Parts: sequence; C-alpha cells; structure tokens
Amino acid sequence: MGVLLRLSDVIRHFGGVHAVDGVSLEIEEGAIFGLIGPNGAGKTTLVNLVTGYLRTQSGSVRLGTPAGEVELARRPPHAVAGLGVARTFQTLRLYRNLTAVENVLVGMHPRRPDDTLAQLLPLPPLRRGEQERLEEARGLLRRVGLESERDGPRPAWTLSYGDQRRLEVARALALRPRLLILDEPAAGMNPAEKDRVRELIQQLNAEGLTVLLIDHDMRLVMGVCRQIAVLNFGRKIADGSPVKVSSDPAVIEAYLGKEAEKTAAHVPGSEEIDVQAPARAPAAAEPAAPLLEVKELEVAYGAIQAVRSVSFGVAKGEIVALIGANGAGKSTILNTLSGLLRPRAGTARFDRLDLTTASPDRIVRGGLVQVPEGREILARLTVRENLELGAWVRRDGQVVQREIAELMERFPILGQRRNLPAGQLSGGEQQILAIARGLLARPRLLLLDEPSLGLAPQMVDAVFEVIERIHKEGVTVLLVEQNALRALELADRAYVVETGRILLSGTGSALRRNPEVRKAYLGG
Amino acid sequence: MDFFIQLLTDPIGFYNSHELLVAQMGINAILAISIFVTFYSGQLTLANAGFMAIGAYTTVLLSLYPQWPLPLDMLLGSLLAGAAGVLVGLPVLRLRGVFLAIATIGFVEALLLGVILNVPITGEGQGLKNPTADPLGGIVPILVSIPVLTYLVWRLTRTRLGQAWAAIREDELAASSNGINVPLYKMIAFVIGAILAGYAGALETHINFFVDPTEYGISRTIQILTFAVVGGTSNVLGPIVGAVFLTALPEILRFVRDYRDVINGVILILVIIFRPQGIVGRGGLALIRPRWLHRRGRVRGSPASAL
Ligand SMILES: Nc1ncnc2c1ncn2[C@@H]1O[C@H](COP(=O)(O)OP(=O)(O)OP(=O)(O)O)[C@@H](O)[C@H]1O
Ligand SMILES: [Mg+2]
Repeated sequence: MGVLLRLSDVIRHFGGVHAVDGVSLEIEEGAIFGLIGPNGAGKTTLVNLVTGYLRTQSGSVRLGTPAGEVELARRPPHAVAGLGVARTFQTLRLYRNLTAVENVLVGMHPRRPDDTLAQLLPLPPLRRGEQERLEEARGLLRRVGLESERDGPRPAWTLSYGDQRRLEVARALALRPRLLILDEPAAGMNPAEKDRVRELIQQLNAEGLTVLLIDHDMRLVMGVCRQIAVLNFGRKIADGSPVKVSSDPAVIEAYLGKEAEKTAAHVPGSEEIDVQAPARAPAAAEPAAPLLEVKELEVAYGAIQAVRSVSFGVAKGEIVALIGANGAGKSTILNTLSGLLRPRAGTARFDRLDLTTASPDRIVRGGLVQVPEGREILARLTVRENLELGAWVRRDGQVVQREIAELMERFPILGQRRNLPAGQLSGGEQQILAIARGLLARPRLLLLDEPSLGLAPQMVDAVFEVIERIHKEGVTVLLVEQNALRALELADRAYVVETGRILLSGTGSALRRNPEVRKAYLGG
Repeated sequence: MDFFIQLLTDPIGFYNSHELLVAQMGINAILAISIFVTFYSGQLTLANAGFMAIGAYTTVLLSLYPQWPLPLDMLLGSLLAGAAGVLVGLPVLRLRGVFLAIATIGFVEALLLGVILNVPITGEGQGLKNPTADPLGGIVPILVSIPVLTYLVWRLTRTRLGQAWAAIREDELAASSNGINVPLYKMIAFVIGAILAGYAGALETHINFFVDPTEYGISRTIQILTFAVVGGTSNVLGPIVGAVFLTALPEILRFVRDYRDVINGVILILVIIFRPQGIVGRGGLALIRPRWLHRRGRVRGSPASAL
C-alpha cells in the first residue's frame, strides 16, 4: 500500500501565531490516522491547508492518485474535493435551510454528470437518475445513524447537534471519497453514541476508505487509530502507535494531563480500569421552593415534538445536570428557558419571571444566562470585545475589568489572543470564550449547554474547576453535558432525558451507580 | 374597484383598455425572474436596470441602422447584456452582500452617465426614437415569454445547477468542500440574470416609441428589488407575483395617484415587518398574518430567507 497523503514541512503562520510550523506526515492508504493536540495546536489549520481553504506558506501537500502523486497546495477547495478528499467541519457548516436529504444530494455534486440542460425537460428516463440518487442519499443517512423517514425531510437546522454532525459525515460520504477527514466527529455525543461513531469509522475503513480523524476523546482516538500524530503549537511533538503516543512524557505534559492514566486504558488490549469517583453526600430530592420551575413543558419544531411534558425544578445554589442521548431534547429545553424557542404548552418560571412569554433580553436581565451549544460568539469582534459584551447588563465596570483580567489569567489562550477577532480562534478556544462570556454576565442561574464540547482533556478539567468555583460563589447551574460521568460527579441532582421525556432523576451519585445509566451513558 | 369589477366581468374589455398596463406587468415579471436567479444563488446584485438598458439600446440600434429583423435584434441585445454580465461579474462577484450591491449599482451609474448619456449614437441625454415599435404586436412575445421563462427557471432550480446555487446561498465554504466551483456557478447565475434583464429591456423597446435613458437608473433598480422583497424569493413565483401586484397597484389606487411612491413605501415596510419571507413564502401563497397571532407553539426566528 502506498502513501495517500504526504505533508512535508508545511508552514502556515498568522502574523505572530505559528499555527502550523513545519509539519511532516505520511498517511498510508487504508489507514485510520489520528491527529491530536491541545486546543489551538493547529489541527484544523492543517486540515484547511490540505483541503485548499488556506494557502501554505511553504512546504508541500501531496495526494496519491491512481495517476501518480499530485500537489494539493495550490488547488482551490472544489478541486481538492474533486480529487476525492472529503471533510467535515469542526464548527458545523450544513446547508441549514435545506433538508437533510438535500444536504446529502449536494454532496454528490462532483461525481454527478452535468445533466442540467436535459433536466430542464423532465422526461421519465431522466427522472430515473433522480430516484436513484434519492435512494442513495437516504441510504447514506441510515448509514450514519439517522432515520431517513423521519429526519430526511427535516431542514438541517432543526436536527440536534449530534445529528447535525452525523449529517455532515453523510454529506461528506456522498462524494465517495478516497480520503475522509473528520474534524471532531464525535463532539457533543455521549459515550454510547461515540461507540457508534467508532463502529462507523471502522466499517468505512474496512471497505477501503482512508480516514484522518481529529478528536479530543481519547477513548475514540486510541480505540480506532493505528497511527497517531500529536501537534503542539503548530509542531509535531510525537507520532506512532497509540501505546507509544499515550505514554510519551511530552504528550502527557502538553495534552493528556490527568487523563493520561485513563487514556492508556483505552488502548485496545489493556485492561479497563474502573473510574468510580468517591460518592458525595446525597443532596435533597426535588426542591420545595425552586428558583427555576418547569411544568409540563412541550416544545415542537413544526410537526416534530421535541419535548413532551417535561417537569423539573432547580433550587437556589444547586448544580443540576440533564443527561441523555443526542436529540433527546436537552438543548431544546435550555433554548426554551432562555426565550429563544416558544413552548407549545406548559409553564416555565424563573423567580417571578414567566419564561414562556418574556423576551430573551428580558430573561438575561432577569439573571438567567445561557452558554449555547456550539459557541455562538461574535466572530468579527475581538476576544476582549466579546467578553465585555458578556458583561453588558452589568453596571460595575471596574469589577468587570478585574474579572476579565482574572479569566484571561485562568485561560491564557484568551489572554494571548485578546485583540484577535474571535472568529479566528480555534474551535476549542471559541468554546472557552463562550463560557467566559457567560460567566461575566454574573448570572443567578447559568445554563451551560455542552461546556466540554471540543475541549482538550486538560481544558475540560479547567472548565469544570471554574464551574465548581462559581457554584461555590453562589451561582445556580443547570448543565447539559455529554461527558455524563463528569457531569454526574459535579451535579447535586440530575435528570435523564430521553425522546423528549424525563426518564429518571436522582442525586448525581445515585445515578452514577445506576446500572442502566452506566450502560447507556457512561460507556460501561 | 372598477378595475377589479371589469377584470372579473369583462376580461376581454379589460385587456383592450389596459393593454399597456398588461405589457408593463409582463416586462416587470421578466425583470423579477431575472433578479430571482441571482437571489437564488445568494447574491444581492442590483445591475438589472443596467443590463436592461444594454438590451434595449442594442435592439433599437440594430433595427434602426442595419435594419435586421427584430427577433435577431432582441436576441443579440440579450446576448450582449449577458456578455456585459461576464465583464462586470469578473471583478465584482468576489464581493458579497451589501458590497456586491453597491458595486453593481456603481456599474449601472457608470453605464448610464459614462456611455448612454455621452455617446452620440444613443441620442445622448435626449433618448432615442424608435419608429419601428409596435405596441399591439409587442405584447404577444411578452405574454408568451412569461410562462416559458417561469417554467424554465422553476425547473432550473431543481437541476444540478440549481442545487449548487442553493448550496452556495446557504454556505459558500461548505459548497466548495462538496466540490462546487463557487465562482463559476455564481457567474452563471449572474449572467443568466443579465440575459433575462437584457431581454426584458429589448421587449420593452418594442412597445414604446421612445427609449428614455432615465428609465434605467437607480429608481428602476430599486423597483425591481422591491418586486423580489414584496413577493418573496423562496421560489420563482414570488418575484413574479410581486411584480404583477406592484405594477397594478397604481392603477387600483388611481384616486390617490399623487401618493403612489408613499404607498409603495408603506407596502414595502408592512411586508418586511409582517411577512419577511414575502407574499409567496415557503409552502406557497399565504395570507398576510401578523406574527403575534401564533406566538405560542411556534419556533421563533424562522430560518433566514434567501439573503
Ligand atoms: N485565520 C486566522 N487568523 C489568525 N489566527 C488564526 C486563524 N486561524 C487559526 N488561527 C490560530 O491558529 C491556531 C491554531 O488553530 P486551529 O484551529 O488549527 O487549532 P486546533 O488544533 O484545531 O484547535 P481545537 O482543538 O481547539 O480545534 C489558533 O491559535 C488560532 O487562534
Ligand atoms: Mg480544531
């Protein structure tokens, strides 16, 4: 087997940021190649260089084709795609207003004959190709784990975050690529769902597809890749087999941190260690006089009922977690509480504020702030301006400035990039920014939707520490998190949400011991 | 009111007494189709009036001097507008959104002030007499063109090309990762729009005895844009309905004729507030319904429309 992708000494700097600084790699045909490294290490930049979105400043990127090696470095993105390189985007880029099926159909573009003129006259023989493509698109949706009947006709933006990620994979597969680049395909999924992503990658690979995988989930990366490269500050600091990489001191230092022990356990063949944490004292059950009270909430997207008769409460000073599979309705619940969606029925009350009718800005001024899933930062404003806007509703300007300085110290990647437009941050850096911005609003109730999304293991630790600290300072937290183990360790109480309903509830430690919960969400 | 009563009770009489209006509706409908094509690919271009002028002047000049047959003149007029589309498109299609809109308006102004008003053959600022016009016969090709063009453009949105346009409109970056040659497909949309606008200009010269350069300025451009905004751009019928409705309006409101522009403006504002997706929104023709009537049980923030 030959080399499918060969990078030699690739360099791309942005001003003073050495995003990719002389990287050389070889990806064998038929391999599953892993690329890992801290947030901002240059992984996505590298993908952008390979796929033609960014120009290399020096070095070469060569793709093996049946007709010999070709240089990719000067080709526009559509030409690279035409050579059989498909990718997904870390920050989702679906055609939001097109349906799921249409998204996949667009993905077939380069390998579809240009029959535009013939199609102007819809004669039956020409229609046949259309039917076949439609069938193929539905097949691809099923392949990635979507239901072609239910999800196919839905506009992409109404799908859950995890389902949107799956749809991006289906769209990329529609190209019938030779190289598939997945930039954090499992972000926002729970362990059981990540296992399905792993199975899919393995299946595709067994059929001959070469895969370049970027992810921060070591269970996934170590479990599926045979070859891994580690980037840090734009340079390759290690490469080799999962065993070799996960025990490399430089990698542990730069990236894995406390996760190193667990990571070693994810390498196939080694023994699974039990990750039971010490149980906390169980907190009180359902609060009597909750700060947030939700009763029989129902929310729908058109005909699709996303939340069905959900009731729960959060008492002042609690951390409450919602866990459950993708598409279960957790984000929909949060978006309804912050006034972005309107319920079909039911009530939601925060203090004395009726959340079903108050405008989103009124809700924020009332002290309820949401950090949305998938980092909705203001891309053209600088990091500092984003942070300052987070504190927009506050009047204590000097305190705000001090808190901003503190946050920049705690998360140095924000401090170093304070004057950079936020849109240029890496995916994980944007996530940190979104969380920091939410904290600066000094909410009484903070809604966190997937705070660990796209974060490197060390960064996840830092974020959970911050959540714990603000909680100690008196902020009440409602947390949605796919890293269910971490969420349950932190939470006083938690609710398990499935298909729009609450299935179970209990203290964090009780749910963590519940065998069903362990099986479904904690990954064994 | 008389207007409607006559339309319903005596369509033939109505047609005979409102021929010019019907012709104008038709021309505006073709202009609406032209702006729809660029909207569909996600581009806010405002060069239509300029391309229209190219189509109009070329047609008249060719029938005045070489005295070629009219259909040939119209064809060449439309094609020349398309060729101008390529030339204008090459530099300006790199721009997006408002910047593209401003650049295309710049083109219209430059064409008008720089060429039409200064070149002797176009009659300079005086306009051009067109003795070959035939207001009665001229209406026939207009009425025939509309269903044909509507059908073709509607089909086009369903082909590989149309799918690529929709993808570009939704997300250019993603489209290029799917192997779509974004600059090429934008150019195709821009040029088709230019040809259609040129064709509308050519048809218009055939129903008027006089080509008036002031007809092709900014206000015409804005008018065409209004058709699309009021009608809606989610499918080709939207701008056509907008064009027909807004062209008929001054007739319906004859009694307040002096306030025509005011009323047009008010309608535009009402549509933007109450029905931002236009009269013909997603899922066909819908009545104008205030949003607060279905506040509960509805997802707020409907997907951004074409722009
Ligand atoms: N267009 C740009 N202009 C300036 N700096 C940029 C630009 N794009 C990326 N960077 C910087 O380059 C660095 C590498 O970013 P990149 O997105 O490649 O990181 P990453 O490894 O994918 O991180 P993550 O795990 O968080 O996704 C970051 O520090 C980022 O701020
Ligand atoms: Mg990245």
